Amino acid sequence: MGDILVLAEHRQGELREVTLELLTLAGQLGGNVTALLLGSGVDDFASKIAGFADKVMVVDDPMFADFNQMAYQAALAEIIKNDKPGLVLIGNTGQGVDLVGSLAVELDLPFTTDAIAVVMEGDKPVVTRQYYGGKINGTINFKDAETYVIGVREAAVPAGEGGKSGEVAKVDNPVTAEITARKFLEYVEAAIGDVDITQSALLVSVGRGIREDKNLPMIEELAALMGADISGSRAVIDAGWLPADRQVGISGKTVKPKLYLALGISGAFQHVTGIKGSDLVVAINKDPDAPIFQYADFGIVDDLLKVVPALIDKIKETKG
Amino acid sequence: MSIEEGTFVQKYDLLGCIQCGRCTGGCPVTVRTPLNVRRFVYDTVDDERLEELSENPDIWDCTTCNTCAIRCPKGLEPFEVLLGLRAMRAEEGNLEPTAITALESMFNNGNPWGKAAAKRLDWAEGIDNLKVLEEGQKTDVLLHICCTAAYDPKIQPFVRNLVRVLDAAGVDYGLIGEEEKHCGSEARRLGEEGLFEYFDEENTELFARYDFQRLVTLSPHCFNSFKNEYTNLDIPVMHYTQLVAELLEDGKLELSKEVASKVVFHDPCYLGKKNLVFDEPRYILGKIPGVETTEFFRSKERSLCCEGGGGKMWVESESKAPRLAETRVADAHDLGAQTIAVACPFCWLTIEDAIKAKGYEEEMQVKDILELLDEAL
Amino acid sequence: MNIVVCVKQVPDTSDPDTEVHIDGTGKGVDQGKFSFVINDADNFAVEEAILLKEKHGGEVTVVNIGPEAANQVIRMALAKGGDSAVRLDDEKFAYSDPVATARLLASALKDVEYDLVMTGCLATDDGYGAVGIALAQLLGVPHAAYAKTVEVVDDKKLKVGRELEGGLLEMNEIELPCVLAIQTGGNEPRYASFKGIREASKKEIKVMDLAATGLSEDQVGEAGSVAVMTQYSVPEVGELAEILEGDPAETAGKLAGILKEKGLV
Repeated sequence: MGDILVLAEHRQGELREVTLELLTLAGQLGGNVTALLLGSGVDDFASKIAGFADKVMVVDDPMFADFNQMAYQAALAEIIKNDKPGLVLIGNTGQGVDLVGSLAVELDLPFTTDAIAVVMEGDKPVVTRQYYGGKINGTINFKDAETYVIGVREAAVPAGEGGKSGEVAKVDNPVTAEITARKFLEYVEAAIGDVDITQSALLVSVGRGIREDKNLPMIEELAALMGADISGSRAVIDAGWLPADRQVGISGKTVKPKLYLALGISGAFQHVTGIKGSDLVVAINKDPDAPIFQYADFGIVDDLLKVVPALIDKIKETKG
Repeated sequence: MSIEEGTFVQKYDLLGCIQCGRCTGGCPVTVRTPLNVRRFVYDTVDDERLEELSENPDIWDCTTCNTCAIRCPKGLEPFEVLLGLRAMRAEEGNLEPTAITALESMFNNGNPWGKAAAKRLDWAEGIDNLKVLEEGQKTDVLLHICCTAAYDPKIQPFVRNLVRVLDAAGVDYGLIGEEEKHCGSEARRLGEEGLFEYFDEENTELFARYDFQRLVTLSPHCFNSFKNEYTNLDIPVMHYTQLVAELLEDGKLELSKEVASKVVFHDPCYLGKKNLVFDEPRYILGKIPGVETTEFFRSKERSLCCEGGGGKMWVESESKAPRLAETRVADAHDLGAQTIAVACPFCWLTIEDAIKAKGYEEEMQVKDILELLDEAL
Repeated sequence: MNIVVCVKQVPDTSDPDTEVHIDGTGKGVDQGKFSFVINDADNFAVEEAILLKEKHGGEVTVVNIGPEAANQVIRMALAKGGDSAVRLDDEKFAYSDPVATARLLASALKDVEYDLVMTGCLATDDGYGAVGIALAQLLGVPHAAYAKTVEVVDDKKLKVGRELEGGLLEMNEIELPCVLAIQTGGNEPRYASFKGIREASKKEIKVMDLAATGLSEDQVGEAGSVAVMTQYSVPEVGELAEILEGDPAETAGKLAGILKEKGLV
């Protein structure tokens, strides 16, 4: 097969983890792995990436200081046309999704998005994706082409240890024209203290199983550690332990986090209807017959007041 | 929206109001919300203020429990004014997201719970010989299950209980099945007059396809809509407690097993205050062996609402004060009741929550009369 | 400002009780037990379009690819303030991938004057998130994915906030005409009252088949696709939660491991 080109992703001066995940995946697929780093003053990133790639191609230009899809697409199009990689991997992220479809259409290349697995069948990648909210999977087969473009879901493959020492090569910016139709202006942080649980990626949600509000600090510690927001069942909001805008359920908010960690929530129909968009539901409840276990992907049948402190310790260990 | 001159004055007979204040004086939610229904009756006389009044969040505090109507010396229905204001909001599309979700599901699926119509018979899983009617089939009783009983796993068992009771009594009955639709009651309470009219037409047409003598509902909310609000439904409508009382009276239903429990009956608003069905549920409880009954201080016409009706399953009040259902549960606790008996899915759900909130799970339970009947069979 | 908003009708599979069964062909699913709704993000796109129309004037055209049953979501959009509608309907459109889908949408726009095209950022059934982006390229205009805030700067430019991971907004200035793939949560979609929908049923929905699109058979459906979904399969998950066994230290350890593996901590 041809070489694999992986687009590095960074934001606000930080290399994003998805870059290393994609490079790890590319390494597993075989072939030469080239990382393309578009940025401005990104030598640190280049040396980190070099541990995961056979080659790091760096285009250092103020044009790439922040993500601009049009500038990125222009550069990628030139490089793909020149180097003709067999496969281009881009994160299925806020940046990558903005880029994959239009880049592939411009170059008339087969593409797909949000791959959760990629394998090679001969020279051709075959992709697994999720459909219907993850209820079923589907296999994608591409039309024959020289190059395939794939958007890969974050955390589809865990980042490995690296162990390569790729050559870092600075190349000239292939984009000569000024990009005017779209301009990056600034980043605006989500307002702090003004949590909108419908938009939260991670939710730690509490029910009556916490028994008393004096147990809330333990939950807050867990949430802070995980970078999660806190929500609750109607009973907890009624008790005044959490503000009304944190209520999940039919008379509260419908949430769609990547993780919904239900602590001491029995899972009344009126509650679980509100968590239907969640990717992963984990329930901790001491009642093995609690209906929440019918909706959860993973469950722990135990007292949350015993499990949560242990979980805090274990996550701290995991994070090192 | 365009407001025709004098709309509210005529529609709700506002000039009949003498501003005595008995409505607000008896309104149960005033202990926890700022709602003042007398004030709305007074203010809505002025057409020019309707728009502004419809924006007042207090209109969503009403549970439509009918207390104001039952107390009104002039025979008015003050809470209907609030539904009129809600209807203005609905027509403008300016509703709470939770209400929108429920209404869109009614429109798309024929139920407010976001469930597929094709899953409406899921409650019946495992029941052999389920009596789903063919078009034109003759039967005595057409059973309307209603959405909450059909879909809420906590309420579904009551339908199975009801089916078992009717089978035991040899009742000739049948079900519509997957084609059954929401009665429209909660659509109207959420302000969706148009959608209610749609259900009125659709269901009337649907019922006309079957040959039956009486329509029996599981929920008092459907009972009320079919009985009092449908425009062209020309058939006797009964709540299941009325049918079961009749079966007991006629000696068709035998209750043999002892159900030892001290039971207090909580009158569902739409059965009691709205339709004055007070005696049948009590008669049934009296026939269950082993049941010792007691009464709330506030019962029958003075019964305290559980806050499950009036669209309140989907629209919360901002109040932090204890819910009325919690007050109800505390009262039952004081009476030493072990069971709060209800005859309405919404009451069951709100009271179950309240028992948990009060931490009385070990001492008392909420049970639909159907559960008690099933235990006694 | 004239706006085109693309809406898709999808099965509401987000309900935890909804089961998805693969049909005999392996390339489709049984539709019988589904309830159908407007795609969540498209609902926000409709609202954004109506808000812009209310503020800046112009007309909103609703475009859909779907069977006659999809008129339901089109009429809801019309009831909320849409002015006209186009529905692309031909059995040859089945199995279109995002490129073939975008090509169909572009064909519907050839006779429509627009300043702005909006789609939802992601469909809940196939989850590609690529149609709006591909469409922009086909139309030769700039775009923004995950657009959550939209502000009109002047008649040539928009200021658009794209929502990135962690809720961070990436603010961009984008020239009109352009395509925005709208993220959920940026507005509060209004309710289309039953009366409004009934009223909207009087508006004509223009139906386009393959001939009307001016496209050839090999540009649509599976033939016109570059990436074809060839086989659905059932992922390995149990009906009930997988229960983690052990004392609190063990169960917590297992859970931490799972969260780590899934990139959640």
